[in-house]
Amino acid sequence: MKGHHITPRRTLLKVFAALVALTALTALTAQIDIGAFNIPLALAIAGTKALLVVLFFMALKYDKPVNALFFGLGILFVVVFLTFTLFDTAFRGDLGNVGEEAFFNTEGAEQER
Amino acid sequence: MAINTGTAEQTAQERPMAHLKHYFVSSDQQFDAAKLGMWLFLITEILLFSGMFVAYAVYRVWYPEVFAVASTELNPWLGGLNTVVLLASSLTVALAIHAAQTDNRRALVTNLFITVALAGVFMVVKYFEYTHKFHLGIFPGGHFAYAEMDQPIVPIFFSIYYVMTGIHGVHVLVGMGVLSWLGARAIRGDFHSGYYTPVELSGLYWHLVDIIWIFLFPLLYLI
Repeated sequence: MKGHHITPRRTLLKVFAALVALTALTALTAQIDIGAFNIPLALAIAGTKALLVVLFFMALKYDKPVNALFFGLGILFVVVFLTFTLFDTAFRGDLGNVGEEAFFNTEGAEQER
Repeated sequence: MAINTGTAEQTAQERPMAHLKHYFVSSDQQFDAAKLGMWLFLITEILLFSGMFVAYAVYRVWYPEVFAVASTELNPWLGGLNTVVLLASSLTVALAIHAAQTDNRRALVTNLFITVALAGVFMVVKYFEYTHKFHLGIFPGGHFAYAEMDQPIVPIFFSIYYVMTGIHGVHVLVGMGVLSWLGARAIRGDFHSGYYTPVELSGLYWHLVDIIWIFLFPLLYLI
């Protein structure tokens, strides 16, 4: 078919090399304890790898924009799903930690009574 | 087989547009419609897995220390090996599509079957990982019987592990079946630069399976 983008073999091999290098990088950085930054770093590396696969192996970079639109919308709804669920579950403990004394043993409450 | 190859070759040469359905204007239109449909299917796949990723996130936010302890039971070397194996299989699928686009049937067949072989390596490694855990008594859900990690939330981590890697593994098996079938069709001479839609679409599916594992590896093995 005319007009189909043919990704050169060299590009594919370079992308593969980059993916393997990033795999090694994520395995190495996981050994270093940088506290709260470990998870965002691991996700950033995984995201970069996924982006490389999507853009070059799946050739979305050279594809019809409508395919990228569909894919982007799908990802958007995954983000909505994840963040809005965590808005609930990640903050439930805040209410559960409130002991009885928070309601009854404060001085202000004593005076009002 | 040789006779079949010959006739298929003739058919492809005599009727190069045999693949075109009457309700499409051109090969390109048919190809684009099929590809958009495939992307739509991939979104449903992403949403299927996103449910499991959300379950993972919720429990990891609730019990980060349990996840850190339980994940030490997973072997990061085997997980890393499988990551590289799947990345290589993604490369060979991309090379197979390149071969189809450039009418190189030999390279197309070779790359398709290398992909199937790499997927097989992935499943064999997975088999050893699973049997090792079963041996220790690490079963999903209520059957968990690993005395060394007898803590409340640990079985939930392994349930998430089994469901995520299990459903991912089923996708790998499906991919092996589809890619083998394509390999057989490629030997028959079904695909050429004018028509390789099934190779392209299966390639997209295979890359998605790879992407899921790209996220599973650090999240499960490297906590």
